[in-house]
Amino acid sequence: MPWNPEADVVEVVRGPRKAGGAGGLYRAFGETLRGLKTTFNQLARVGVTTVQYPEEKIPVFPRFRGRHRLHRFEDTGLEKCVGCSLCAAACPADCIRVVAAENTPENRVSAGERYAAVYEINLSRCIFCGYCEIACPFDAITMGHDFELSDYNRSDLIFTKEMLLAEPAERTPLRTEDE
Amino acid sequence: MPRPIREMVTFTLDGREVTAPESTMLVDAALEYGDVEIPVFCYEPKIGPPVGACRMCLVEIEGVPKLQAGCSVPVKDGMIVHTNTPRVKEAQEGVVEFLLINHPLDCPVCDKGGECPLQDKSFGWGSGISRTVEPKRHFEKPLALSPLIAIDRERCIMCYRCVRFSQEVSEDHQLVLQERGADTFVTTFDGHPYVAPFSGNIIELCPVGALTSRPYRFRARPWDIEQAGSICMLCPAQCNVSFTVRDERVLRVLQRDHEGVDNGWLCDKGRFAYQAIHVDERVTEPLIRDGGTLRAVPWELALETAAAALRRAGGRVAALAGGETTNEEGFLLQSLVRDALGSPDVDSRRGGTLPLELHRALVAPALQASVPDLQYAHAVLVLDTEPVDDIPILDLRIRRGVRHQGVRLFVATSRPSSLDDRARGIVRYAPGAGEAFLAALDAALTGEGDVDALAGAAGADADAVRRLADGLRDAGEEVVVLWGERLTAGPRGADAARALLNVAARLGLAGRDGAGLLEVPSAANGRGLREVGVLPNAGPGLCEPSAEGRDADGIAAAAAAGEIAALYLLHTDPLLDQPSRRAWGAALEKASTVIAHAAFLTEGIAEHATVVFPAESHAEKEGTVVHPDGRVQRLRRAIGRQGDVRGEWQVLAELAARLGADPRVLTASMVSQRLFDAVPFYAGLTLDEIGGRGVRWPEREQAGALPTAALGPFALEAPPAAATANGRLRLGAFRSIWAAPEVAASPALSFLRPLQRAELSPADAERLGLRHGERVVVASNGHSVSALVHLRQAAPEGSVFLESGIAEHSAANLDGPLVEVRRA
Ligand code: SF4
Ligand code: SF4
Ligand code: SF4
Ligand code: SF4
Ligand code: FES
Repeated sequence: MPWNPEADVVEVVRGPRKAGGAGGLYRAFGETLRGLKTTFNQLARVGVTTVQYPEEKIPVFPRFRGRHRLHRFEDTGLEKCVGCSLCAAACPADCIRVVAAENTPENRVSAGERYAAVYEINLSRCIFCGYCEIACPFDAITMGHDFELSDYNRSDLIFTKEMLLAEPAERTPLRTEDE
Repeated sequence: MPRPIREMVTFTLDGREVTAPESTMLVDAALEYGDVEIPVFCYEPKIGPPVGACRMCLVEIEGVPKLQAGCSVPVKDGMIVHTNTPRVKEAQEGVVEFLLINHPLDCPVCDKGGECPLQDKSFGWGSGISRTVEPKRHFEKPLALSPLIAIDRERCIMCYRCVRFSQEVSEDHQLVLQERGADTFVTTFDGHPYVAPFSGNIIELCPVGALTSRPYRFRARPWDIEQAGSICMLCPAQCNVSFTVRDERVLRVLQRDHEGVDNGWLCDKGRFAYQAIHVDERVTEPLIRDGGTLRAVPWELALETAAAALRRAGGRVAALAGGETTNEEGFLLQSLVRDALGSPDVDSRRGGTLPLELHRALVAPALQASVPDLQYAHAVLVLDTEPVDDIPILDLRIRRGVRHQGVRLFVATSRPSSLDDRARGIVRYAPGAGEAFLAALDAALTGEGDVDALAGAAGADADAVRRLADGLRDAGEEVVVLWGERLTAGPRGADAARALLNVAARLGLAGRDGAGLLEVPSAANGRGLREVGVLPNAGPGLCEPSAEGRDADGIAAAAAAGEIAALYLLHTDPLLDQPSRRAWGAALEKASTVIAHAAFLTEGIAEHATVVFPAESHAEKEGTVVHPDGRVQRLRRAIGRQGDVRGEWQVLAELAARLGADPRVLTASMVSQRLFDAVPFYAGLTLDEIGGRGVRWPEREQAGALPTAALGPFALEAPPAAATANGRLRLGAFRSIWAAPEVAASPALSFLRPLQRAELSPADAERLGLRHGERVVVASNGHSVSALVHLRQAAPEGSVFLESGIAEHSAANLDGPLVEVRRA
């Protein structure tokens, strides 16, 4: 049977059927006051403080999954990442791009035969699932604590290897045991 | 030996009845007919019979006490096989553990990771835990096995596929296993690099990451890439390939197994010359000559300049098409020249055309042999071609036939062939004396005529010719003659072609299944171009053209005489491709306009072209081509066109439109359709039907639409005798597999770029007082080239062979037939 679009058309209501009147008055003032009730309730409560973000930040849990970090070996300074692309394979958002290259005696970047010549994470696509961290056979990539990831331009959210290797400019406070 | 006929047998596989052809190996029968995968490592039927080296394929067969290697047990009627009993499982886990004892498991840095059979099999059939705590065996790594291949001996699992390939498939006998036990390693016998025309195949054969490609090293992971199937256009073999593409760049070329074409092998040119697509030297924008130098210009200006020049030439135009031209481009080119410009002068052959009758006879479906016929024939005659250079992949096919099917191989060439040591009979004749040789063979086959005199005229040994005739007659009915186009080049080409048809007629090849002629064209799509009408004396479908034009030699002469104002060169540099460099030098000098489609500014283009359109690479092209055995194959685009390159069919159509004969084609497939409609024996073909495997048109019903031609025997006049050497040497030219601009431009392959060498017999060298490796001058009529002496034991006395198709010191600089060789 061919589909008949007439049969069950959903009626779309885009506004009050009847403008003005008592209903209109209520919508203009009653609803507003109802919303303000929450605000006033908070005003009345004592002892609760608003965190003055961004001057003040709520400490995150140690296992908080924020912006990624790439690591180096502390002793040799070589990059831990060998550019194996396993993180890229694991990533459900397909936001990691790795282009590997070969280490040479003159230019040794990582400990293995290969290193990541290009390592990019598109943080505007990342869903912070942490799979990349789990996939990495060398603990080269971990989820960091930064969560302040807004920018004026999407392409600025593509983090390069240098950005991911660098110490973050400002450390996100970490929650201590008893907090 | 004809193809075996196989009966079907029924056996029980894991409790199910499975029917498969008898004597199929159990692993194949299980996978193909029973949908059960038995893991294998060393088994690879392309290489040859199983060797049972790895024991990964163990299965339980009822009635046999021990577990059996499924790769080496042919199925038999009533066999009862179990592949998943606890006993089999335990054995498989044991084998995986055993293979991993010395395996480094450095998958993260291994190039095979993600596409590695060892990973897959360990995952699927291994126990998942390692008990090994002992230190593993160590080798130095990574090492270069050759400039193209890296070897990591720690990863090797000793399946010896690579060694078997080298010993039994390509028969270059270079790779061996050295030492014993855990110390065994793969190497060349004396440690020199493994350089051979087919070496790259071992990269794909190796089931682990022990052999990896150096140009592809660390470029990508399987999940970073896409595979795009197409056809390799670097030689007439037209192997089916699959391009590995990442970020719009070709990173690797893999085989795409096609029994009817390549049997799953590739030569190193096809495998590594993809690099030429992405080099800076490549022309990627239109150029016009401006005050002596070529300058990049916008497309509009280039097209208008070309159109204006062609208009100005007013019919005094000639066109040449080279090997990479697709059927579609060839079709548009001939229609541009014939219909829009009103000139009949188009050609795609080297060294002259043949009468139309003979073109038709040589592609007659009754006479066509297919590629697999080479493997299953009773006898194969290799005539005036060196397969390794001219159509490399068929060299492997012939070797396979000889090794596994007992094909009797005969070689009749002037230059010693690499197939000589597999041949039952060899005849050497003077360079260019193919016609006289065929006449002698014909006489020996019929018993009429003077074999001695004819063999003498060919510079061949009459007894060898008689033995060849006997050999061919005794071998059996199915004889395939693999012959090179150069046999029919030159002014007496037509006579040579008739002599060839005579021999085919004496051997009764016409209409016989599994027998026939197989031509090796000198250009990759040589056959296709002829069939779509890029010939001076044939239009599309080998029909009569409205007017007969000049062939390539005629065009050169006419251009040099100022009768041709504009030359259109589609993918060809006559200085490299045509036999006479001087004639073409003069022609290009004199022509006021030279329009070229080129990917590289080779000498003739760089010096003479007035407009250069960038040529697409074979990974960027769409269209169809015809394999030498008549298989119409399809090229598909793997990557976006680089730089400012445009589809060449578009360029040709656009020019035709500007010249007032708009072909009205909007897409590449419309051109293909137009072509299929214009060529009667392609009628009804569609791109879908061609698909990824191609269609042999001689096997289609419409093949009957080819105008019939007499297939002989013909009465022939006595052939002229080959020049007698008398102090000087006869000149033979050959084009090696590496003589291609793509090879020179590919960084990985450029070490193979040929330098001129003069191949001589030791006897001649001794007479001339020359030693191997010495520099000599080869001269004739006041022209000379410089070369290094290269002694070949099998070279016939009285001849010298020089390389053509190279930029410097090419044999095309010399006029034959006799040359002088002296120390430089
Ligand atoms: S956290 Fe998840 S989504 Fe983000 S990069 Fe890693 S794997 Fe991809
Ligand atoms: S971060 Fe880890 S998983 Fe990703 S490429 Fe580097 S080593 Fe491999
Ligand atoms: S050969 Fe395979 S299993 Fe061995 S290291 Fe390479 S990817 Fe891993
Ligand atoms: S190098 Fe590869 S193909 Fe050769 S024996 Fe070792 S594992 Fe097999
Ligand atoms: S695959 Fe059977 S023994 Fe190796």
